[in-house]
Amino acid sequence: MRLYAAELLKLRTLRGTWGFAIVAIGLAALFTAGGIGGASVDDRLSDRYQFRLVLDTAFATGILSLLLGIVLFTNEFRHGTIARTLLAEPRRWRLVATKLVTGATSGVVLVLLTVLTALVIAVIWLGALDVPLEWGDLADGAGRTLVAVVLAGVIGAALGGAVHSQVGALVGALVWMFVVEPLCWGLLGLVGWDGVAEYLPAASLGGVIDTGDEGLSFPVSVGISAAWAALLLVLALLRTGRRDIT
Amino acid sequence: MIEVRGLTKRYGSTTAVHDLSFTVEAGRVTGFLGPNGAGKSTTMRVILGLVHPSSGTTSVLGRPYRELDRPERHVGALLETFDAHPGRSGRSHLRVLALAGGIPRSRVDEVLTLVELTGASKRRVKGYSLGMRQRLGLAAALLADPEVLVLDEPANGLDPQGIRWLRDFLRALAAEGRTILVSSHVLAEVAQTVDDVVIIHRGRLVQQAAMAEVDAMAARATLVRSPDAPRLVSLLTAAGLDAALAGDDRITVQAPSERVGEIAAAGGVVLHELTAQRASLEEVFLELTGEPDGQS
Repeated sequence: MRLYAAELLKLRTLRGTWGFAIVAIGLAALFTAGGIGGASVDDRLSDRYQFRLVLDTAFATGILSLLLGIVLFTNEFRHGTIARTLLAEPRRWRLVATKLVTGATSGVVLVLLTVLTALVIAVIWLGALDVPLEWGDLADGAGRTLVAVVLAGVIGAALGGAVHSQVGALVGALVWMFVVEPLCWGLLGLVGWDGVAEYLPAASLGGVIDTGDEGLSFPVSVGISAAWAALLLVLALLRTGRRDIT
Repeated sequence: MIEVRGLTKRYGSTTAVHDLSFTVEAGRVTGFLGPNGAGKSTTMRVILGLVHPSSGTTSVLGRPYRELDRPERHVGALLETFDAHPGRSGRSHLRVLALAGGIPRSRVDEVLTLVELTGASKRRVKGYSLGMRQRLGLAAALLADPEVLVLDEPANGLDPQGIRWLRDFLRALAAEGRTILVSSHVLAEVAQTVDDVVIIHRGRLVQQAAMAEVDAMAARATLVRSPDAPRLVSLLTAAGLDAALAGDDRITVQAPSERVGEIAAAGGVVLHELTAQRASLEEVFLELTGEPDGQS
């Protein structure tokens, strides 16, 4: 608990963390406003509209959570603070585990901020439009967002623990999500293996917040994402455990 | 107490530390000396569990650092590389360490006062001077009021006042029975602080001795001037000393000046000069480490 509390204090005492929070709130406001303002009257009254409205914030919040997870681990190596951190907790597996829990916690905080932002806008705007609020759908959307963003935070922290280079991990994650994996989807589609593409890291994480009927189900997407997180955790334990801090 | 036994550390084909053994006793300040690149920092990092040894063992208070319960409460360390996040204030940096080490928050203010950083404690670390960073590092090392201190080049960046403060402070801590290992590449810098020295060169132990023994190594010949130099040479030689004329009235004797003076007085020889010649501590250090002048 001491180490976990210290990790949270580390996050709170850096301006960059608040930058992530502000960007997340801004994007959530933007997506929610776009989701209400850009929708027709029929759309707003359609089935599961409010569920999708909240879930629209999950993609941006998830990416921010992933990046924050990467940063909270790789900052230690970028600024040389890892030595001081390991002096306090020389059992490195404990540090890796604590970083992952901190990544999950930062995801929870981001979700609280973004979902609250979305809800405030939705309640005020939809109320003004006389659209009845579907609290069950809103809660369902918030729940799925929470699962996806927390998983992204854990994956980010584990990736940071496996790579250590901040630039390498950040650029690598973004290139994987927006270049490599889409290429894989295309290539796998060409050979008729579309189904396999759904098991790739970004696709499975995307499946957690996918509102469509196709693709992997929510529980399976969560399971596959957790498996990717577990794989990265093993790599983080090996890399961080063996590295000489010179 | 710190123990290093048969420590070897290799990085690929480079051997940074080779079969190094030494002991740091409690209640004494031990200087860990060697030229840059001698393996001091690597050894200290192995002691602190940051670097894995290729072979050999190290222990602090009888156990490997990684097996100590809440190690920061027992061991304070200052590393040569700066280890605070530049975007965090000095106070926040210490608060994080206090929280991680289970150390009361009140200690943060105490150590900030101790290293005279209270006024700058709310500033972000990236604005600190080299000396202020070093003081912050010392504050971190002292945070838990530990019984063992491992300090890598602690005088770096400190002004003369700071160095004097550090010297007095370390002496006071050792007097309380604490174990202190302090590295430097300049023997003269720590000569007034340390009780013992461990000198390494190219990863190997060169000398482990009390500082008094190293000081004695600095004693060289005695220079004597006398109007009766030839007779004094005879008296000194008869006493079994290695004495030689170095001019009409000059003699060089390989013996302490006190002994030379006593023999001259006993023989009734008038002396015009009696000078003990000493090598500087740096010269002794360079001789021990085999470095020519200016190469350390």
